[in-house]
Amino acid sequence: MQTLKHIGIIALNTFRESIRDKILYNIVFLAIALTLFSIVLGEWSVFDRAYVIKSTTLSVMSLSGLLISIFVGISLVQKEIQRRTVLTLLSKPISRASFIVGKYFGLLAVVAVHLAILTIIYYLMLAVTGADPTLSLLTAIYLIFCEMAVVIAVALLFSSFSSTVLSALFTLGVYFAGHLSNQLLEQVRFASRMGEMGGTSSALFEKAAVVIHAVFPGLYRYNVTSYVVHGVALPDMYLFWNSVYALGYVGVFLAIASWWFSRRDFL
Amino acid sequence: MIEIENLQKTYRSGFLMKSKLALKGVSFHVEAGQVYGFIGPNGAGKSTTIKVLTGLLNYESGKVLVNGVSPRDVKSRTFLGYSPEQPYFYDYLTGRELLQFYGKLVGLSGAELNSRIDWALALLHADKDWIDRRLRSYSKGMMQRVGIAQSILGKPKLLILDEPMSGLDPMGRRDVREAIQQLNKDGVTIFYSSHLLSDVESISHKVAMIVDGKIVREGTVDEITESCGVEYHVRTRKAILAADLPEGVSLAGHPQEFVCADDAARDRLLGFCLANGIAVERMDHKRPSLEDILTEEIARADA
Repeated sequence: MQTLKHIGIIALNTFRESIRDKILYNIVFLAIALTLFSIVLGEWSVFDRAYVIKSTTLSVMSLSGLLISIFVGISLVQKEIQRRTVLTLLSKPISRASFIVGKYFGLLAVVAVHLAILTIIYYLMLAVTGADPTLSLLTAIYLIFCEMAVVIAVALLFSSFSSTVLSALFTLGVYFAGHLSNQLLEQVRFASRMGEMGGTSSALFEKAAVVIHAVFPGLYRYNVTSYVVHGVALPDMYLFWNSVYALGYVGVFLAIASWWFSRRDFL
Repeated sequence: MIEIENLQKTYRSGFLMKSKLALKGVSFHVEAGQVYGFIGPNGAGKSTTIKVLTGLLNYESGKVLVNGVSPRDVKSRTFLGYSPEQPYFYDYLTGRELLQFYGKLVGLSGAELNSRIDWALALLHADKDWIDRRLRSYSKGMMQRVGIAQSILGKPKLLILDEPMSGLDPMGRRDVREAIQQLNKDGVTIFYSSHLLSDVESISHKVAMIVDGKIVREGTVDEITESCGVEYHVRTRKAILAADLPEGVSLAGHPQEFVCADDAARDRLLGFCLANGIAVERMDHKRPSLEDILTEEIARADA
């Protein structure tokens, strides 16, 4: 109970810290501007205007969420260490795991608010332009949120033991690996089937692709823009199982981050 | 309250993880109700010891207990207050918001939290307008007061302060000194490090001196200074030739002034004066100060 209370207090303070961060405002305003710009893109495009507005805005949500998760996320722990505020905080009767989890939920709340603001603008824009604002679009937004939940956990994991720049690079690496791991596996298997690779190297590449696919979180699962924009139904229980999948990764990443953080010395 | 036995801490740095032994078997005990001063030169291991006690640093070997619990256990910090050296805080908060944040972390809320904040600020003479300003506008002294205020919000049984008087003007130092004494009267055990040895001498029940990662002296201020012997300064009415001076007595820059290295040398000089009809005009004794002893210990460690 006490631990939950500590997590809540740290999360609230993290939220307050983040919403006073200039980087956050830059990203939010850029996202809003790009969202509004999608109307212009819709007019210019040779594709269906509604399709362009819907898909562009979902991409903006995903990209801006990613930027917040990485650039605000990795600085959260590093700033505490560099400014030595961590010394006073961790001398209180709170565990280091509570600190990491509190930071996580604080930033998750920031991303949730950011996506909520964009969602409201999104639906207003769809209503004004008559671009069929269906509720199914919320599915895609929810999955973007799940994806960001994983990315924030990755950012916190790296920032618990490496510098800001390295954390950003590592997190971006995991993000791209997570999005491309499925394609990589398919391509390697395809090339192998077509006989474009020799025996040993084929087996080696396939094993590497399988490992990458198994270890890195499959973030490609959370990109369902083309489904919802075209009104294609997602498989049954898709949301449920992918929420569980995200929760699993978040749990593992936060556990490793907490374990690593608890071994650290603070000078 | 604090038990440290043979504590060792090694820092590793650089690409090759070069190691440096920062604490070389530190041992001391702090009893409940004491004001315990921890002194030593920069880099001697004061802050390292304090950070081990507060759970901020891990250690390789030795026994460390804070409130009867290992600092690796969160429970050791339940009744602990800590203010780091040159405290840094969230500069986007006001002083009061910061105290509310830390107060909540030690389990306070509502009216109790507000009254505890008011009490802490009053104790440190920080109940001024500036407490509602953002921390980024604070001077070093204001920051130090807020740092100590946050450490006492939870009414700790043990208060650990790392250089609580650094960055303070004379008034600020007096306020902090008085706050330490008041808290101790209220039953709080205080362990603090400081470079201001005159303050340490005036308020500490016991003192430990650390040099190069080792405790070189420990005890009350009297015990430490007495252990180094007492010098006697004697002035006579008539000059005495240096060649005639008894063993252990030396001239103190004037033919009528002498320094006796110990009690026996003093007695020899007085006997010599009586035997030769030389009147003694003045005699006083001088104990070495903590500063003298610390300087001597540093020189010994360097040698």
